[in-house]
Amino acid sequence: MIILFIVLPLVVAGILPLAGRLSRRVLPDLLANATLLALVVYAAVAGRSLIAGGPVLLQPSWLGETIGLRLGLDGFSLFMLMAVSVVGFAACLFSINYMEHYGSKATFYALYLVMMAGMNGLVLASDLFSVYVFLEVAAVASYALVAYGLGHDELEAAFKYLMLSVVGSAFVVAAVAVIYGMTGALDFAAVAAGLRELNAGPVVAIASAFFLFGFGLKAALVPFHAWLPDAHPSAPAPISAVLSGLLIKVSGVYAMTRIFLNVFGLTPALSTVMMWMGIVSLVVAAFLALGQKDMKRMLAYSSISQVGYIVLGIGIGTPLGIAGGLFHLFNHALAKGLLFLTSGSVQQATGTRDLDEMGGLAKRMPVTAATNLVGALSIAGVPPLNGFWSKLLIIVALVQAGHGAFAVVAVLASVLTLWYYLLMQRKAFFGKLNAKWAGVKEAPFWMTASTVLLALLCVGIGIFFSSTITTWIQPAADVLADGLHAVTGSWGF
Amino acid sequence: MILQTALLIGLVIFAALAILLRDLLKSAIALAVASLLLGIIFFRMNAPYAGAFEISVVAGLITVLFVLTIALTKTGEEVRESKLVNVAFPVVFVAFIVIDALVMKGLIGKIPALAAGAETGSFGDVLWKARTYDLVGQIAVILAGVFAVLALFRKREKND
Amino acid sequence: MTNTWYLYVFFAAALVFAGILGLLAKRNLIKLFICIEVIGKGISLLLVATGLAKASLLTAQALAITYIVIEVSLVATALALIINIYRHTKSLDVRRLAKLKG
Repeated sequence: MIILFIVLPLVVAGILPLAGRLSRRVLPDLLANATLLALVVYAAVAGRSLIAGGPVLLQPSWLGETIGLRLGLDGFSLFMLMAVSVVGFAACLFSINYMEHYGSKATFYALYLVMMAGMNGLVLASDLFSVYVFLEVAAVASYALVAYGLGHDELEAAFKYLMLSVVGSAFVVAAVAVIYGMTGALDFAAVAAGLRELNAGPVVAIASAFFLFGFGLKAALVPFHAWLPDAHPSAPAPISAVLSGLLIKVSGVYAMTRIFLNVFGLTPALSTVMMWMGIVSLVVAAFLALGQKDMKRMLAYSSISQVGYIVLGIGIGTPLGIAGGLFHLFNHALAKGLLFLTSGSVQQATGTRDLDEMGGLAKRMPVTAATNLVGALSIAGVPPLNGFWSKLLIIVALVQAGHGAFAVVAVLASVLTLWYYLLMQRKAFFGKLNAKWAGVKEAPFWMTASTVLLALLCVGIGIFFSSTITTWIQPAADVLADGLHAVTGSWGF
Repeated sequence: MILQTALLIGLVIFAALAILLRDLLKSAIALAVASLLLGIIFFRMNAPYAGAFEISVVAGLITVLFVLTIALTKTGEEVRESKLVNVAFPVVFVAFIVIDALVMKGLIGKIPALAAGAETGSFGDVLWKARTYDLVGQIAVILAGVFAVLALFRKREKND
Repeated sequence: MTNTWYLYVFFAAALVFAGILGLLAKRNLIKLFICIEVIGKGISLLLVATGLAKASLLTAQALAITYIVIEVSLVATALALIINIYRHTKSLDVRRLAKLKG
């Protein structure tokens, strides 16, 4: 019952206000986390058997009657469901302690679950307009979640995020309308077949440009990234983790990739554009991250940079490049989620995000320091952590496809990434203990537990990278490398 | 067709008025009139459901929300808009209209389209059976909006 | 595509452009959101006009209605944000929101 991925969070969100009335903390905590844990388990256990025979279009039935829902489940969407569920669960666990002081936990969890439902809904959509609808579901929930603290900074960041995001969405709908006008259809299979029949290069190029603008803005690719360095730091830490770790990838990278690779087909022009947008984001954001004093702001710029890496990898178009890009998407979701969570622990303990004010926290918060180090090294691409393997795949793919210059730039940017992460680690955790923090304690149980969980996953995937790749990444990459056939073949109805 | 074109021109004019007028309340009303015109345009396109929705929801509900917000944020001092904009906006806009017209004229017949198939069923069938997933999305987005408002207007017990 | 489609797209594009121009030029928060509404009108006009051109008005109306419902949720959230910002800064000027550099 894959529909559960959307319906379960929505139903639980619906009853959360009631639960919140009965019990301020325990019942909402329990409901939200149990829901997400159930989804993680379901994705891990049942998911793969459903797609054993190739991509499927699931049609759920209600009391014997089939409903007109066609959920597209294939290697790529299952992979995304897994990523969303795991990081979503970890951040939710973190929220048990972190969101204590924000008030109204039930409403928070309700918004959070709606955002999860929106992301899952987007991933399972097999129809261009439905992609837009669930994109907006997750987006509306995220606007309120960014502003959740109701402080000046949060409200300002949320407002700017909203304004830019809505313009992006408008362009997505415009592109969908043009495609609809040409092919008369909205579902992936019919559109793919229709476009192939029409051979309307220039118009598809314009629609692609609109999609690039809209989804590029959601993914915060340079030059559409201006909203992210304000929104992600201002949001509460678990929300920053989900935004950076999941939302920009689901609404931005997944939507773009699904449409460009499986519906339009990756033309050389599109590939070049994606690769250039990727490399520019990678480099520019890395430089911008260097000068940051605010811990979360630095992480935000790093997200822009790493999304550039992902888009670069997928843009190459070769199976190896796509696999590398997807693997990096997963690793970054885990690691960046982890880093934002630890930054939340630090912020809660010290009351500041300013790296210059911190120092020597490792002595008082050893677990947080350790998990932060794992996350930092993972993103920087240090072996044997997971980030190393995904970056390696992308670089090898670049060389193999004849883009040696890109590969050199990517490697240099990685060195830069390593540099500013080590800087962050040193400033915050190592060095002399700043006298101000002498009385600081380690983060509360659920906060440390969730960060340890993500850190263990980073290490585990780093060690068992080849089995992770074969089980989760390769099926996803195969679907994308198949191009149009993935949707027109066994999906067609 | 002439009436339709006149209505469309009216729509654009009122939308521009909504953007340019200084008084917020007048802006909101101009927007409502624009929505009304759009609703009528939809009716004449043989899209009565869209027209009814546009008029009742956008011209009605959204205008009410705007007026409510305007009332709740009445300041003594007005936000001073740039004077340059009042000159620059029409100029740039007219320039765009000209380019727009030329582009559209040039594109006529250039965009290929597959022959349209016949549409079966009633509106209810299409909405409930063909676009069921969108309905789930609608429920989700309404939940998102409701919880967003609840979250943004919640009572803070202690100040932190 | 029928010729009338291009007529509608002409007006839809004009609306979207007017909205974007307003977003760049205006300073009042509520005004900025009215510009977003104008963009929304352009897009819903585009949707229904495309349905008219493909003789699939029923589907296009379903799309337009969904779009309007999403718009309502968006308006509610955005106006809630604006009211909160007003409570903080006692002003609706977007230049007051220049603390973060982006």
